[in-house]
Amino acid sequence: MINLQKVCYVRLGTRDLEGATRFATDILGLEVSEWAKGARHFKSDAREHTLCYVDGDPSIQVAGFEVANKDDLDQAATELEKLGHAVHVGTREQADARMVREFIAFSDPTGNRIEIAWRPAVSGIRYHGTRDAGITGFSHIGLCTTDPVRDEAFWTQVCNARVSDRIGDAALLRIDEVHHSIAMFPTNRAGIQHINHQVETADDVMRSLHFLIERRVNITFGPGRHPSSSAKFLYFEGPDGMTFEYSSGVRTIADELLYRERQFRFDPKGFCQWGAKPQIREFM
Amino acid sequence: MIAVEQLRYVRLGTSDLVAAANFAQHILGLELVDQDDAQVAFRSDFRDHTLVFTRDPRAGHSIGFEVRDSEALERAADALAQNGYEIAAGSPEEAARRKVKTFLSFDAKGVTVDLVVRPLHSGWRYFPSRDAGVTGLEAVALRSTSVAKGEVLWTKVLSGKVSDWVGDAAYIRFDTAHHRLALHPSSSSGVLAVEFGVESVDQLMQSSYFLQDQQVRIVHGPGRRPSSGQMFLTFTGPDDVLFSYVAEGRTIDESTHRPRQFPRRARSFCAWGSRGHLPEYDTEHGATAAPGGRS
Repeated sequence: MINLQKVCYVRLGTRDLEGATRFATDILGLEVSEWAKGARHFKSDAREHTLCYVDGDPSIQVAGFEVANKDDLDQAATELEKLGHAVHVGTREQADARMVREFIAFSDPTGNRIEIAWRPAVSGIRYHGTRDAGITGFSHIGLCTTDPVRDEAFWTQVCNARVSDRIGDAALLRIDEVHHSIAMFPTNRAGIQHINHQVETADDVMRSLHFLIERRVNITFGPGRHPSSSAKFLYFEGPDGMTFEYSSGVRTIADELLYRERQFRFDPKGFCQWGAKPQIREFM
Repeated sequence: MIAVEQLRYVRLGTSDLVAAANFAQHILGLELVDQDDAQVAFRSDFRDHTLVFTRDPRAGHSIGFEVRDSEALERAADALAQNGYEIAAGSPEEAARRKVKTFLSFDAKGVTVDLVVRPLHSGWRYFPSRDAGVTGLEAVALRSTSVAKGEVLWTKVLSGKVSDWVGDAAYIRFDTAHHRLALHPSSSSGVLAVEFGVESVDQLMQSSYFLQDQQVRIVHGPGRRPSSGQMFLTFTGPDDVLFSYVAEGRTIDESTHRPRQFPRRARSFCAWGSRGHLPEYDTEHGATAAPGGRS
């Protein structure tokens, strides 16, 4: 079993690094943690970075997960190879670019690029956003799946994820006490489906709504509230068509023994208990 | 000074009683109490009724406040007369229509104020027609051509206190709630908005999508007032009167609270950045449409 601790970063390719940087700072409200040649690292919490835009094709979409120790990293590599996944062991240079000590990279059954990292860098300086979006940190990702049954089995049997709830066949998976760190949405492609940052309160969600409207950012879903995780949310479109989400008030699951996952309908009511209707392909 | 106990009701004249009743029941979601040819009354809480639509082509507005007893009512009559208000003692028939023991009324610049004694309470649980999560009548906002004079009436003759000002708009309280009455400077006079409390942000936002589906025009919000801390959603009702749902909001500690002056600009009316589509709430132009809010 691959023992994932946390989702720790997202790497996205873009042809317009400056434009993406402007979005990440002025709109999303992250803080630049490093200006490198052909890459921009962004902070959203106590970690050194949680988002990185790299100069390249927008199809480059990588999700990074943290493991607790070197043994877990080595064991993950062995297990993945045994199952027939091609495992790339990151070079020192590549690890430095990710601000981690060591990492391995592979593709999940759908073809999503996944990295497993050991010792991702934590920052000594607290996060101070470019604007007061109230961000408390990078929290979860949506991942595309071309076969929800197969991929749920991969994440819950090969890895240590547990199903918290399902919306239709879309499984919301937890790897720690947070309701979900990975949300798997059935579609016909591979890649990251959305990127979530938590904000302090529902007030921050609503303030951002008006901030984004004034700047003509395309709001794709919300404001609303997920009946599954109880989080109040707002989805909007970032560079290269990537969906970003702010949310607040996600539930935690403390009692692993008593908790039972629930089935929600795959329709607007299953996604929002306030009545918002999604304009996001994978939610429709 | 005359002690005002409680905001009791709002009576709104309308030329189309059927449409108004339909709005109160199916859009606003209140409980129908009784109706006849002349008026339709609605409950929102433990009070017998808090909203009445009356058949009145002139569309006159009146608001009812409770005073403790008939002695207080007599003192109120004297005090108001001294301040130049023309008092009308309510007839027994009029008192019966208002479901109060006795009352007096006077014209406070475009809105009739009823001071009532022993208004009816209900022993029955409030059971609304739609699950809007209404908890009760919270406040009334008035538009006024002479806010200064209004402030004198409500805070010097009657027992209200100013909780905050936004520009010259005054939020006036009679109990621990931040305000039960808001006076907004305007080019006309009357009831601007009738405000009902709802349980939480969930009901407020559910209503915001419900109202959009029903093609009700949302004129302000969803938002949060920096002054009272209330979340609000304001929309149009019959005869150009606005209605609001409000949730949360602070209570006032009399020993420590001092009224604050907020600047007259849009962000003093909404801390989320929503724009009011009315001159009373917004001094600026260029408002944009918001999902989950106005259409």
